[in-house]
Amino acid sequence: MRQLLVLTASDLVQRVRDKSVIIFALVVPLALMSVFNLVFGDADSLELERVTVAISAPPNDELARVLTDVVRDLDGAGELDVTVTEVDEATGRQQVEDGDAAIALLVPEGFGEAARTGRGVTVEAVRGDEAGVEADVVLSVVDGLLGEFASGAVTARAALAEGVSHRDIGALVEQATQGGPAYELARGEASDEQLDAGAALVAGQAGLFLLFTVSFGVTGLLLDRETGTLARLRSMPIRGGLIVASKALVSFILGVVATGVLLTAGSLLFDADFGSVPAVAALVLCVSAAGTSLMFLVVRIARTSEQASIMTSIFALVLGIGGGAFFPVSAAGPFAGLLDLNPVAALLRGLGITSGGGGLADIGVPLGIMLGFAAVMLVASRLVPERGALR
Amino acid sequence: MAEDVLVVDSLVRRFGDLTAVDGVSFRIAPGETYGLLGPNGAGKTTTISMIAGLIAADAGSVTVAGEAMTPRTTEPKRHLGLVPQELAIYPDLTGRENLMLFGRLQGLTGAGLKQRVGHVLELIGLADRAKDRSKEYSGGMKRRLNIGIGLLNRPTLLILDEPTVGVDPQSRNAILESVEALSVEGMAVLYTTHYMEEAERLCDRIGIIDSGRLQATGTRDELIRLTGGVDTIRLGGSGDLVGAAEELRQIPGVERVDAERRSATLTVKDAPALVAQVVGTAAARGVTLSDVEISRPDLESVFLHLTGKGLRD
Repeated sequence: MRQLLVLTASDLVQRVRDKSVIIFALVVPLALMSVFNLVFGDADSLELERVTVAISAPPNDELARVLTDVVRDLDGAGELDVTVTEVDEATGRQQVEDGDAAIALLVPEGFGEAARTGRGVTVEAVRGDEAGVEADVVLSVVDGLLGEFASGAVTARAALAEGVSHRDIGALVEQATQGGPAYELARGEASDEQLDAGAALVAGQAGLFLLFTVSFGVTGLLLDRETGTLARLRSMPIRGGLIVASKALVSFILGVVATGVLLTAGSLLFDADFGSVPAVAALVLCVSAAGTSLMFLVVRIARTSEQASIMTSIFALVLGIGGGAFFPVSAAGPFAGLLDLNPVAALLRGLGITSGGGGLADIGVPLGIMLGFAAVMLVASRLVPERGALR
Repeated sequence: MAEDVLVVDSLVRRFGDLTAVDGVSFRIAPGETYGLLGPNGAGKTTTISMIAGLIAADAGSVTVAGEAMTPRTTEPKRHLGLVPQELAIYPDLTGRENLMLFGRLQGLTGAGLKQRVGHVLELIGLADRAKDRSKEYSGGMKRRLNIGIGLLNRPTLLILDEPTVGVDPQSRNAILESVEALSVEGMAVLYTTHYMEEAERLCDRIGIIDSGRLQATGTRDELIRLTGGVDTIRLGGSGDLVGAAEELRQIPGVERVDAERRSATLTVKDAPALVAQVVGTAAARGVTLSDVEISRPDLESVFLHLTGKGLRD
């Protein structure tokens, strides 16, 4: 044990004196966090612009009037600023063409009658090239309203067919159009796992650079092999496993310290709130273990420290980008599940849970993924033949 | 008679199809300096790696101070000091920190460790630079520190793997003097080199290794006798050298004379003993000598004789 501490302490002293680890572990990620925060920091606070909607609707059509009124009433709802101009069809198209209106809603003759009788009818929406997210909001509201009209008509026809009284039909239609009480959308875990943009940047960079940071410990074995210090260490009266253990311990300590500092600095500098400290600490310990175990695989595959450095960069970028270090990543198909088995993704997921108020009991899955990853990497590193063995 | 410090018995090590070390055996007694002489790739470093317990042997055994050495054993390593061919020091640690680190790993502690580190710093001439990081040292200073680490635990067996490779002549001489002093102190030394002069100067006995096999082992004189032990005297000058050749052949101890108009080469048993008589005989025949050169067989000749190639081939 004493010799393990001697080796570890000596290695840590060297890593600190060699400024590379400080640069990679702290300076570069903090700089990137600052840059990204400047560029993307306001991504969560979306500012909606004023939107003009041209509506062409047949006169004396009550349902068409309802549609027009609903769109007009969107003005002032939330942060929407909506202006409605009632025009004929040609003018509506022209206004969109000229950019005077973001969208034109063209309601055909006989719309109300068709809706009431359940016949098919098409409301044409012409969307301008420059229309933004505000126009999409208006369109989604119109789409929902038309859906309500359709469901009301279907309900009324079904009730009539079943012989329901006219008075009851009215109540049924209202219930159908207002939405039934049998269904309710509850906020589940998935929505709680989302970090806000600033926190996601901090967590992503911490996860990505953790993989670079831990490489300074374990891959030191390759440097020791190249310089002859590994031969000298192995000629000492110590068990060979101690040398490897000390490198792993150095990687782990560097990973924990660097990630801890980055998350703390992110909290202070960029207002990122990661929630429960014990839960975050558990995530940091586990992701550092996962990163360290990956380095054992790198050391087995690489012949030289230079090769190890290249491999580390590849692994870090693939896992970092795949884990959402720069932007959220979603995948479909048979490999989609693999993305979730990535320790960086698990870190972000775990921090999302803790930032949403989750504690140790809520982060079992991310912790399990990280520890599982660590176990798989350790087993793989034992199975892969060592390419640069001593001669 | 004291027990041999190192006993190497029929060591074999293969890397795939290549047999890097093939049945190497030798012993080193206390206070003896044994040289492994061979060209690059001969199997010297692989042999040393097995002796130091860095890699396992495919066959054979190594015993250091009476204890079997394998990569898993730690006790025999307490008797060992290894100076690898590379500069096996940590550049971001000071000279003193390097010595303290390896001293602790050797099991030294407390005042004993500090005292020993101080002594070694004096011995290798780095006491006044002990607080400087070793990356700031000159090449020679790094080499001295590399050797100093091997001496920290007062090893029974010191292994020096080509310690003068890439060293300037002044530092090289200092290293050789240090090794000579160590053997005087009773330390057994295993010294590998491909420099014939170093082996001749330092080693009590020499093993000549090539292609993983120990071709011959013995003292310098024993090895030279393997070549037949003949010297040459080369004469250069003006006069009747061809005519003098017949009289030169009559001198007892001269085995052969090859004469041309301006030079003659004599193959003799003991050149230093015969050179005066050879020069006198040539002068008596009216030859005016401008050049007399004596060549004695050396380890290079032995290596050539045993392997059919030069040490630096």
